[in-house]
Amino acid sequence: MTSTTTAPAKKSLFGKDELKAIKDPLWDNNPIAFQVLGICSSLAVTTRLDKALVMGIGVTLVTALSNVMISVMRNFIPNKIRIIVQLVVVSGVVIVFDQVLKAYMFDLSKQLSVFVGLIITNCIVMGRLEAYAMGNPPWRSLLDGIGNGLGYLWILAVVGTIREIFGAGKLLGVQVIPQAFYDAGYVNNGLMVLAPGAFILLGIIVWVQRSISGYVEK
Amino acid sequence: MNTSSNGYVMGFAVGVCVVISTMLALTANALKPAQEAAKELDRQKNMLIAAGFVAPDELKSAAELRQIFEQRVREAVVDTVDGRVVEGKTAKDLAELNKKAVADAKASGGDLKVAAARYRAFAVGAGADGKPDTYILPISGKGLWSTIKGYMALEGDFNHVRGVTFYEHGETPGLGGECENPAWCAQWKGKTILDEQGHLVGVGVKKGKVDPAVAAEKAHKVDGLSGSTLTSNGITRFVKSDLDAFAKYLTSLRTK
Repeated sequence: MTSTTTAPAKKSLFGKDELKAIKDPLWDNNPIAFQVLGICSSLAVTTRLDKALVMGIGVTLVTALSNVMISVMRNFIPNKIRIIVQLVVVSGVVIVFDQVLKAYMFDLSKQLSVFVGLIITNCIVMGRLEAYAMGNPPWRSLLDGIGNGLGYLWILAVVGTIREIFGAGKLLGVQVIPQAFYDAGYVNNGLMVLAPGAFILLGIIVWVQRSISGYVEK
Repeated sequence: MNTSSNGYVMGFAVGVCVVISTMLALTANALKPAQEAAKELDRQKNMLIAAGFVAPDELKSAAELRQIFEQRVREAVVDTVDGRVVEGKTAKDLAELNKKAVADAKASGGDLKVAAARYRAFAVGAGADGKPDTYILPISGKGLWSTIKGYMALEGDFNHVRGVTFYEHGETPGLGGECENPAWCAQWKGKTILDEQGHLVGVGVKKGKVDPAVAAEKAHKVDGLSGSTLTSNGITRFVKSDLDAFAKYLTSLRTK
C-alpha cells in the first residue's frame, strides 16, 4: 500500500526532467569535458587530491545554492541588472564557503589561497545561472547545480589522484609509492606537479570521455 | 508589475545587497571564534615546524599539535633594549607593554620605531630530555604587498638556523607566495647568522642560485625565488633587522 501512495510523489520529485538535470552534466553534458568550462581552476587546484575534492565540493555547493536562490527570484529579477544580481548572489555564497573553510579547514584554505575566491569567476557557476536557473523552477535548478558541481568534482578528483600519485608519490597526504621504488631509482614526475602536466592529463580525459560518449564537433 | 522601471531596478538592487550583506555579517560573526582558534593553532604549528619538532607534511591532529606545543615550547617576552626576559608576561601583554614603551619614548624623546617593537615574543623549545635546545624567534616585516610573518628557530649555539617558516602573508600566489613552500624553507636549515669574526650578518635571499664555492654565500644565503625579487629583498631585510633586535638577548644567552 505504501508503495502506491509514495510512487506519485516520488515521480513528481524525480521525473524525467529532474533526472536529466542531475545526470546529464555528469557525463553527456559534463561542464569540463563537454562544455570546456572551469579549466583554469581545474589546472590550479589538482596537485593534491584533498585540494581537488574540497574545491569540487565548494563549486558544487556554490552552484547548487546560487542556482536555487536565483531560480527563486527569477521572475522578479529585472532583466537589465540580472548579471550583476547573479554575481552578488554567487559572491555571497562563495564568501560564506571561504569563511567556513577558514574556520574549520585552515590548512586547506591556506593551500587553496585565492582559488576559493575565484570560484566567483568560475564559468560553470555563471553559466548554469544564465542557462538554467533563470528559466527553471528551484528544485530542478538545485539538481542541475549539484549535477554540474559533481561533474566538475569527479574530473578534478581523477586529475588530482593521478597528479598526487605520480607527482608526489602520495595519496591524500599518505605515502603510497613504497620506499623500495625510490631506492631502486624511481623518481617523482616533476611535470605532474606543474600546470602543464594537468593540462595534458585534462586533454587526455576530454579525449577519452568524448570518444566513449560519442561526441562529434559540429 | 513593471520590472524594468528605474524605481523597481533600484529597489531590487538595494534589496538584494541588504539581504546578502546581512547573511555575510551573520556568518562572519558566528565563525569568528573558530577562525581565531584555527589561526592560533596554525601559528603554534609553524613554531613546531621551524623548531623541527613536526615535519611540514606530517599529518597531525589539532589535539596532538597542541599537546606537543604544551610539552616542548615555552613562550616568553623579551625586552630587546636591555636584552632581558620580562618575567610574568606573555605574548598577550605585548601590545600593552609596547604602548607603554612608546609613551615613555615620547616623553623622553627616544626612538619611537624602536619603542613600538621593544618588547617581543620569544620561545624556547625543549629537546626530548626537557632541556632547552632551540630558540624560536618571530620574524615579520614587509614583503611586496603585505606583512609576512614567520618563525626562525636557532640551534643551541645561537648561530646555526634550525628551521624557518612563513605562515601568514599576502604575496602573489605562485611567485612571492612561494616563500611558504616547505622545500624552499628547508634551504635555510644549517645556515649561520654570524660570520667568522662573530659579527651578526643574518641570512639573506640571493637573487639567483647560491654558489657553493663562495663561503660567505654558502653560509649566509639561500636561493632566490624566481619572479619575486621584491618579496625576497623584503625577507632579507626583516630577517636582519629582527635578528638585530634580538642581538642583545642572544648575546646574553651565548655568554651564559
